[in-house]
Amino acid sequence: MNELALALGAAVDRTPDGKFLLTLQFAKPGEFAAGAPEGGKGKVSAPVWVVSATGKTIFEAERNLAMQVSRHIYWGHLIVLIIGEKAARHGVREVVSLFLRSPQPRETMWVMVTEGEAKNLLMSQPGLEKSSAQAIGFLARSKAGYSVELKDFAAMLASKGGEPIASRLGSLKMVTTPSLGQKTPVEEVRITGVAAFKDDKLTGWLDPSETRGLLWLKGEVGKGVVTVPCPGKPEKQLSLEIIRATTKVIPEYRNNKVSFTVRLMLEGDLEEEQCDENLTKPETIKAIEKELRKDVKQKAELALSKAQGEFKADIFGFGEAFHRAHKREWRMLRDNWNEEFARAEVRISVKAYLRRTGLLTKPATLRE
Amino acid sequence: MISDQIMKTNVLELPMAEPGLELTRSNALHIIKNRCLSIHQVKETTNLADVIDGITSGDTVLLIDGFATALINGVRGWETRKVTSPEAEVVIRGPQEAFVETLRTNTSMLRRKIKNPNLKIETLKLGEVTNTDVAIAYIKGIVHDDIVAEVRRRLDAVKVDSILESGYVEEIIGDGPLSPFPLVNHSERPDKIAAMLLEGRVAIFTDGTPEVLTVPTLFLEFIHSPDDYYEKFYHGSLIRFVRLGALVMTLALPSLYVAVITFHQEMLPTPLMLSIAGQREMVPFPAFIETLIMEISFEALREAGVRLPRQVGQAVSIVGALIIGEAAVRAGIVAAATVIIVAVTGISSFMLTTSAGITIRMLRFPMMILSATMGLFGLSVGLVTILVHLATLRSFGVPYLSPVAPTTTGDLKDVLFRAPWWAMFTRPRLLGGMKDPQRQQFRLKPTPPETRE
Repeated sequence: MNELALALGAAVDRTPDGKFLLTLQFAKPGEFAAGAPEGGKGKVSAPVWVVSATGKTIFEAERNLAMQVSRHIYWGHLIVLIIGEKAARHGVREVVSLFLRSPQPRETMWVMVTEGEAKNLLMSQPGLEKSSAQAIGFLARSKAGYSVELKDFAAMLASKGGEPIASRLGSLKMVTTPSLGQKTPVEEVRITGVAAFKDDKLTGWLDPSETRGLLWLKGEVGKGVVTVPCPGKPEKQLSLEIIRATTKVIPEYRNNKVSFTVRLMLEGDLEEEQCDENLTKPETIKAIEKELRKDVKQKAELALSKAQGEFKADIFGFGEAFHRAHKREWRMLRDNWNEEFARAEVRISVKAYLRRTGLLTKPATLRE
Repeated sequence: MISDQIMKTNVLELPMAEPGLELTRSNALHIIKNRCLSIHQVKETTNLADVIDGITSGDTVLLIDGFATALINGVRGWETRKVTSPEAEVVIRGPQEAFVETLRTNTSMLRRKIKNPNLKIETLKLGEVTNTDVAIAYIKGIVHDDIVAEVRRRLDAVKVDSILESGYVEEIIGDGPLSPFPLVNHSERPDKIAAMLLEGRVAIFTDGTPEVLTVPTLFLEFIHSPDDYYEKFYHGSLIRFVRLGALVMTLALPSLYVAVITFHQEMLPTPLMLSIAGQREMVPFPAFIETLIMEISFEALREAGVRLPRQVGQAVSIVGALIIGEAAVRAGIVAAATVIIVAVTGISSFMLTTSAGITIRMLRFPMMILSATMGLFGLSVGLVTILVHLATLRSFGVPYLSPVAPTTTGDLKDVLFRAPWWAMFTRPRLLGGMKDPQRQQFRLKPTPPETRE
């Protein structure tokens, strides 16, 4: 164990001369032990070490990198694979090949795509965690965006009825606080949406609100917040927490035309309101539910129009749903599915229910 | 060796108070035997060997002029240790008495537990030089007759100089002479021996030791304790599962640690991996050497603690805990995780009864070598080898792993799970045979009275 260099994060970029730039983030085990100096005085070294090397293939880059690393590189604990924008636009099949083929890296590592250079994200130093790879891992697990594990990413790549997507990562410069002993600005990584692929090439980005729409259409919402304007008072807002959400995609094939009906259902609890509605009245509840329906439908349509219009790529996996329902027709359509998808009519219907209003029915701070 | 008081009162004084009898040459033996010797055990013999035997055992022999017959008076008496509480097998709830060194005291303690004429005690003498008394006890009607016959046969074949402890007998009559596992169980608790007999086992008492042997022995007996039967059955059942866990941990935990650290780093969750890697950063030895050093020093500490007087023994454990737990980690000679592993293994090993505990503790060293050379594969090979070996063993004809393998479904009520007493309907099948399998009435489960008038 003492002879291993534990890689926590890997970043793959493309150099201008068409080579791969592999960056690995290694943990310095001494810094992770209990009782290791926790920041503050006497701390000179970062808990991780970031090294890069280039090569014609990623494996060659890894060999070149091994010449700088005194220990045996160990991939078994790799948390995250970040693909730089350039490499992603060039095609990711050749990137994931090594990580799937080699026995050491896990299929459960997160796959992320970043704008610009992926290397920079591994260099960033997070505030809470000791390494940015761990920070990204925890972010991914909290399902802030659409987090994809390597095995799912590979499955999406292999599927004809759905294009791959992965989380989009950005970084955020934090201000320096010298009082806390920080000398250089802390850079925090954050999830900024979703990267959409067409075949294995990056084709565009979805921003956070489009990502919500994507999650609705993929049926991956689970939890989250919906903020809608108060009924009758558009300048005030209401926030609900989603406690249950379901998505049903019903594919149809009539007169050589593909169409989909998507039925969304959500149940939510009211968490915060800025207006002073009387929530004991059924009409008020009905009105809020109407606003909810409007909001969810609008977000879903936003994502849909981007996928059908701008990307012409089925990032929702509707093809798989179509395949399940119409096996025979699928065989004719599968080879140019993306065009069919772009032409398809998608009807979205939303049912929304406000289930509980928390401990209050009226704002407690209201003067009667 | 002869009790003076008995000699005086019984042999000399009492006969003087017997008037009206005429003592002639022909009826002297008869009168002396029946009238004068008011002793509970008088044996008539014409055999010189019996006379010698009687004298060496502490009896007095009365030889009367003109008769070719000797009267052996059973007036043995000597200093004995008092019955005290058990030292090695302590229970929280249950009788606090243990066997002593005297055979007769021990058998009478057993008779007090089982007041039944079917409790048979056969005595014989073993040891060509020591002539040690040995007794076989069993309950006729419950025990399998073949097992008693087999015990008798094996004991008859014992031709050695001396029997100083029941361990001598155990090694000569036990099955699997080269197996590290104990194929004869022993106990110093009368209640445990009584329970063993009631399940159809045979007990072998040896004069001069409080440890009584029981056969046949099943492997899973060693995770049982008398407490299990005295406390509520939930407690008894759960604690047996804990003991089984302890058995597995004692055997495999250090080797699992060595295997994972040396070969299978991917098996640890990343944060744990980083933490252990951090601790091991300063350690100059490979994980195997490090664990071996710790385990051997643990065994040394344990042995030192056993041999030393009780007060000094405590000092040893304090020194051990301080030096190994604290200083070695601080000095960076061992990782803190290794200390934890060794400590948990040690505590687990204390949970097993001594004879099985020694075996398991011994076997963990070859297991560590296996996993240090072949990783988890070696560990599995070791475990499978041990299991296969256990499956081949038999104790007095009963498979060692029974009633689990071969499975006797009805007997599983008292292996890991301890059924409540109102549900212990049958006796163990493989031990006692099917002669009288019913132990108690059905429908013993207490219920509230039906009416409340």
